[in-house]
Amino acid sequence: MSGLSPRQWTGLALLAALAIALPFAFEPRGYGIRILCLALLFAAMAQAWNIVAGLANQISLGHAAFFGIGAYTSTLLLIHFGITPWLGMFAAAILGGAAALLISLPTMRLRGHYFALATLAFGEVMRVIGNSWGGLTGGPVGISVPFAQPSLALMQFRETRSSYWLMLAALVVVTLVFVAIKRSRLGYRLRAIKENADAAEVIGVDTTRTKIIAAVISGALTAALGTLYAQFQFFFDPDTVFGVASVSVRMAMIAIVGGIGTAAGPILGALFVIPLEEFANQVFSAQAAGLSQLVFGLLLILVILIEPRGFMAIGPRLQRLLRKGDRR
Amino acid sequence: MTAALLEVSGVGKRFGGLQALSDVSLSVAAGEIVGLIGPNGAGKTTLFSTLVGLHRPESGSIWLGGRDLVGLKPHRIAAAGMVKTFQNVALFLDSSVLDNVLTGGLMRHSIPAARDLARRCLERVGIDSIADKLARDLSFPERARVEVARALCTEPRILLLDEAMAALNHAEMDAFMALLRQLREEGLTLVVVEHHMRAIMALCDRLVVLNFGQMIATGTPEQIARDPAVVEAYLGRSAA
Repeated sequence: MSGLSPRQWTGLALLAALAIALPFAFEPRGYGIRILCLALLFAAMAQAWNIVAGLANQISLGHAAFFGIGAYTSTLLLIHFGITPWLGMFAAAILGGAAALLISLPTMRLRGHYFALATLAFGEVMRVIGNSWGGLTGGPVGISVPFAQPSLALMQFRETRSSYWLMLAALVVVTLVFVAIKRSRLGYRLRAIKENADAAEVIGVDTTRTKIIAAVISGALTAALGTLYAQFQFFFDPDTVFGVASVSVRMAMIAIVGGIGTAAGPILGALFVIPLEEFANQVFSAQAAGLSQLVFGLLLILVILIEPRGFMAIGPRLQRLLRKGDRR
Repeated sequence: MTAALLEVSGVGKRFGGLQALSDVSLSVAAGEIVGLIGPNGAGKTTLFSTLVGLHRPESGSIWLGGRDLVGLKPHRIAAAGMVKTFQNVALFLDSSVLDNVLTGGLMRHSIPAARDLARRCLERVGIDSIADKLARDLSFPERARVEVARALCTEPRILLLDEAMAALNHAEMDAFMALLRQLREEGLTLVVVEHHMRAIMALCDRLVVLNFGQMIATGTPEQIARDPAVVEAYLGRSAA
C-alpha cells in the first residue's frame, strides 16, 4: 500500500534530488544555508508535533520541554562523559519519551484549550528548572558544546552543507514515522479520538493508551531533534530551547500554517515561516524596535485569514476554482 | 429462558440532583431481542450509556457472561462484547463511511481484515454504495445506518441500538427489522430502544418499560400493551 502513482513517485524522486543538491547553490558557509538548515530542523520538529496535534487534535504548547531535554541531555553527556552526540541523541529520545509519558498521565483526560494550557505550563516549568538548576545546566548563562576537530563521529562539521544533509535526513525520518503512524491502526485510532472520543471508546479504542503512545513517540522525536539543534548552534540557554515563543508556539504555528494533520504541511510551513522571519528581521530590524516582529506577525495573520486550514488546503481550493471557471 | 447473557441488577445513576436511574434490574438471555421503551426522559439512553461504561453507576451490578463490568472503561466492555449505537449519531465526520466502520473492526483485526469485515457490514446494512462518501455528507438516516454498521464491525455478542430506526420509511424499516432478525439467527443478542410501536411490537420477544428512571413493567409485547401502569405512564392517569 504505497498509495502513490508512478507519476507521483517520479515527482518525489525529482524533489529528493533537488533537496540533496540544493546546498551547492549556496555559499558553503554563508547565511542562506544556515537558514535552510533551521527551516529543515523546524519542519522536522513541527512534523513530530503533528503526530499528536495533527492526528489526535491534542494541541500541545509545551513541546519545548522535550526539545530542551534533548539539547541538554546530549550536550551534558558529551561534556561530562565524552559520549558522542549520536548516542546522546538516543539517550535524549529515551528521556524525551519518558517526560512525555510523565506529563501525559495527568493531562490525558484534558481536551482542547485545557490540554494546551497544561502543556504550556509544563514547558514553562522546564524552563524555570533549566534556569535555576545552574549546577547542571549552567543556568541562564547558557552552555557551550565543546568544539573539537570537525568529525562525523562527534556530529560536528566543517561545512554547513553537511549539517544540511543531517537535517534533511532527520526531516525524512520524522516524516516517514508520521506517515507510517497515519496509515497504521494507531493512526486510525488517533483520528477516531480526534473526531469523537466517546464513540471511539465505545467501539473498542483504548483512548488513554492510544494518546500516550502517540505522545511518547512525539516527545522522543522532538528530544532527538533537540540534540541536532545543540550540535548545530554550539551554544544555547534555557530561554532558547525551553522557550514558548522560540520553540513551542513556533512548532505549532509552522504545522498550522502549512496544514495540520498532513505530511507535507509542516514542511511547507517551515519553508515559509523560517525564511519569512529572517527576512522580516533583516529588512525591518534596523527601522524601529519590534517592527520586524510586527511585520512577521501581520504576514502570518494574513496567511491564516486567507486559508485557515493551511497551505495544504490551497491546492484543492484552486482546483475547485479552476473547474468552476471551466464550466462557465 | 436459560442462563442470562446480560444481568443488570439494582443499577442506580444520579446526575447532581437528578436520579436518572434507580434500582434498575433486567436480564437478557442469549439470542433474545428485548425492547426498551418509555416516555422521553425515562432513562433509556442513560441506561445504555451506563451499560457500556460511559457512566459509572453509583449502585448495582452489570454482569455480562459471568463477568462484572462495573468500573470497566468502555473499550474493555466493547472487547467483552457489548457495544451501543448513539441516538444522536456519533460518527467520525471527516472520515469516509468505510473508515468509520473499519475503525470498529480494529479492536480484533489488522487493517486489511478489518476493511474486508467493514465492507461486509456495510453490505448487510444495505449502504455499501456510499462506502467512499464522507460521513459529513450523509443524510441523517444514512448516518444512523453507518452507526449500526460500525457497531456490527466490532463483532459484538450483544448490541444496544438507540433509536437506530429513527427517520427510516416503512420499507426501510421492514428491511432493517429483517436484518435484525437475521442477526439474531446468527447468534447476536439485541436490546433496542425505539419509539415506533409497530416495529417494537413486531420485533421484540420481550419489552422492558422505564419511567422516571425506574423499571415499571416487563413482559411480552401483548402483556405490556395491556398493562395499566404502562398505559398510565404513556397516556396519563385518566386513560388507565
